[in-house]
Amino acid sequence: MSTGIRFDGVTVTYGRTTVLDSFDLTVEPGEVMALLGPSGSGKTTALRALAGFVEPAAGRVHIGDRDVTALPPHRRGVGMVVQQYALFPHMKVDANVAFGLKARKAPRAEITARVAEALEMTGMAAYAKRYPRELSGGQQQRVAIARALAIRPGVLLLDEPLSALDARLRSGMLAELARLHRELPDITMLYVTHDQVEALTLADRIAVMDSARLQDCGTPRDLYRRPRTEFTASFIGTANLLPVTVTADGVRLAGTALDVPAGGAAVGAPATLCVRPHLVGLGEGPNALRGTVAEVQWRGATHRLCVDVEGHRVTADLPELPAPPPAGAEVTLHFAAHDAVLLPAGTHG
Amino acid sequence: MAEPVAVPDAVRRRRFPARFLLLPPVAALGLVFLHPLALVLWQSVSPNGGGHSFAAYTDVFAQAAFRDALRNTVLIAVGATAGALVLGFFLALVIAFVPFPGGKAIGRFIDIFLSFPSFLITLALLFVYGSTGMANGLWTGATGAARGPFDFLHTPWGVLLAEITYFTPFVMRPLLGAFSQLETAQLDVAASLGARAPRIVRQVVLPEALPSLAAGGSLVLVMCLNEFGIVLFTGAKGVTTLPVLVHSKAILDGDYTGACVVAVVNIALSLALYGLYRTLTTRMEGDRRARA
Amino acid sequence: MLVHSRRTRRALQAAFLALFLPVFALPFLVVVTASLATRWSGVLPSGATLDHYRAVAHADALDALTTSVLTAVTASVLALVTGTWAALAARGSRLRRAIEVLFVLPVAVPSVVVGLSLLVAFSKPPFLLNGTSTIVVLAHAVLVTAFAHQSVTAALDRLDPAYEQAAASLGASPLRVLVRVKVPLLLPSLSAAAGLCFALSMGELSATMMLYPPDWVPLPVKVFAATDRGALFPGAALAVLLMATTLLVLLAVSRIRTKAAHR
Repeated sequence: MSTGIRFDGVTVTYGRTTVLDSFDLTVEPGEVMALLGPSGSGKTTALRALAGFVEPAAGRVHIGDRDVTALPPHRRGVGMVVQQYALFPHMKVDANVAFGLKARKAPRAEITARVAEALEMTGMAAYAKRYPRELSGGQQQRVAIARALAIRPGVLLLDEPLSALDARLRSGMLAELARLHRELPDITMLYVTHDQVEALTLADRIAVMDSARLQDCGTPRDLYRRPRTEFTASFIGTANLLPVTVTADGVRLAGTALDVPAGGAAVGAPATLCVRPHLVGLGEGPNALRGTVAEVQWRGATHRLCVDVEGHRVTADLPELPAPPPAGAEVTLHFAAHDAVLLPAGTHG
Repeated sequence: MAEPVAVPDAVRRRRFPARFLLLPPVAALGLVFLHPLALVLWQSVSPNGGGHSFAAYTDVFAQAAFRDALRNTVLIAVGATAGALVLGFFLALVIAFVPFPGGKAIGRFIDIFLSFPSFLITLALLFVYGSTGMANGLWTGATGAARGPFDFLHTPWGVLLAEITYFTPFVMRPLLGAFSQLETAQLDVAASLGARAPRIVRQVVLPEALPSLAAGGSLVLVMCLNEFGIVLFTGAKGVTTLPVLVHSKAILDGDYTGACVVAVVNIALSLALYGLYRTLTTRMEGDRRARA
Repeated sequence: MLVHSRRTRRALQAAFLALFLPVFALPFLVVVTASLATRWSGVLPSGATLDHYRAVAHADALDALTTSVLTAVTASVLALVTGTWAALAARGSRLRRAIEVLFVLPVAVPSVVVGLSLLVAFSKPPFLLNGTSTIVVLAHAVLVTAFAHQSVTAALDRLDPAYEQAAASLGASPLRVLVRVKVPLLLPSLSAAAGLCFALSMGELSATMMLYPPDWVPLPVKVFAATDRGALFPGAALAVLLMATTLLVLLAVSRIRTKAAHR
């Protein structure tokens, strides 16, 4: 009974502002898809269009094989968990979890059983008779998840569910969500977040959004290793993005020739070279970059070197150095050709 | 709270005369409000012949006019409050949760409405439903009858209509405040869990609005019990309420003792309800602080 | 948002307008239109005329307007001074709750009874005020003090104590803190309270009916006198005069308030 999701050219406008621009995305049944992007990128709008709270100006929304574009929210059968928990303050925990089942007029015995099951699953069984205000933030979020799971939705929508929690609780809840998904492999999850760690940890695939548009979509590993745009490269992890020109036998960063395969790009065309800082080495090697150390940061296990090369800042994260070069020193950095990605220029948002 | 080191001197200087500083405003209010009220109470047990007795109370309670006024006052107040609550809840619900252009302007309009005197409503109703007003003119024009059918303005129903109209905004204002505190995410989640609008209103919105509804309702009840202008303007001889009786006994009959007796009854009724209102609002504030 | 289908939303909005407009907007529209009409016993008034305004534009009605404005201004000032003083002095005092209850009491007591009580108290020496304008002003002041006190108290509750603490730690005396820090910060609320007091006093009828002497007849009493003798249309013109004055003052006050708030 797995249910997939499909957005078909969904456009949402508020007055003259387009907040979601012909959005296409397919989420496979049982998949966890993260919608990752900065605030205002349209990710929450996409989620709300799926839940039925915003009306698309164009395009269709499908849940499973049903076109739900015209359906009111209460008939879409999606579970929803939001940042502020939105627990009903005047109901005890068990009544909150039972709310959706009562709205569906489930038989009383079934309500009791499913409430117990949902609370058990989220580890909140002991708190059934508490009021939301008597719980901590993390506990409230567990109740909110139990409430959404109690109706056994085919699709679970999570809108920044961890951003109201502090850092320590957040990593705990992240593991919890991963466990829940392992226990409920049939539930398709759409997870909206601006935090790349959450997306990388939890998602099967990540859809990167910016400026109301889908920028990139792929597995976390794929997006990290082989980003297709400057935006993805800089939003997921950190990246050195260097403006280069394509030459006959590689690329050129100002005066420095680099041996990076340019694919099919035309000679003379501008491009952006993307190298992750931890893949940059210190000393001579292939693709050597000579420059002046601008700054040295000690980060415990690593040293971060910021080096000015041909007028551009290159960052290298190196295993802790016994004798790091001082600021102002001339150094040489290098990277392997297969660790670099050549991106089309001017694809930053 | 820890005070900065340099402050204690200033604090001591300020604390000491605080009680004396309270004296002037309290004395002023005592002179022009509390003392006169006490005199009303005193007069009500001091018949003109001298001495003290509850004779005036027995007298007044025995009058059919008083019993009528008491019944009218309570019935109209309860009816108007109920009407204002229902109408106010619906209107506030739409303004808050079914947004439409101009909703903000309506909020401002309500504030202005609240600062106008109540008798304007009756005046307007006289033009609409009065014996030579719009509605009856329409009827006589259409049917050729000598008189129109609308003759309720001089009955309790006219007063009721005017009071519901005037007092509904007093219910709406606290409600709109409560609704703006309500997280809209709660409504969204409830809908996605499968609840339709009526269920959401009943189970999510109403419980949250209940304290403000109770507070607004009791305030309106008190104001209805004390309302004078609306009743005066209908010019209804048949509809007498306690405030109207106070006025007519004191000004038209010159019977101060009788007026004071009615006033004492009216105050007792109003104060009891106002006490209830304060208790409710205080508890509501306490709830909100506990939740925050 | 509560309803998501466009049709239900439209239906609800229509129901809202069907209730809101006739019940709340119509009364004012009717009064304003009637004040400009020769006769009105159909859907629309019969003819346009300024006669009613001409009729009220003579000295009598203007006297009433002046009376009302003078009464409202004096009563508002008295109420603001008393209410603000009490709110400031009650702060931090153990008597705070008692003061609050005392100052809202006039709202709970029927205005007619407030009028009666002043009549009873000030009809004999040493305070023989019956038949003077003072007794009307006093009644209005008593009735609106509650609102002044309430809004200043609420504003004080919202005021961040960090400001006065900062001022005090810089060595400012309590008086200087009050004059240079608290009062300027309270100015928006004070002006709002002043507007409310003025508006309520302008429309006060109940206590006034008990107290007004023949030479101090405020506008609401004039409106009542006109409608009572059946002169509905001139009454409407007087009522429009009352509403317009109130609105003008409210508008002026809110202008001052926005200026004070943006400083």
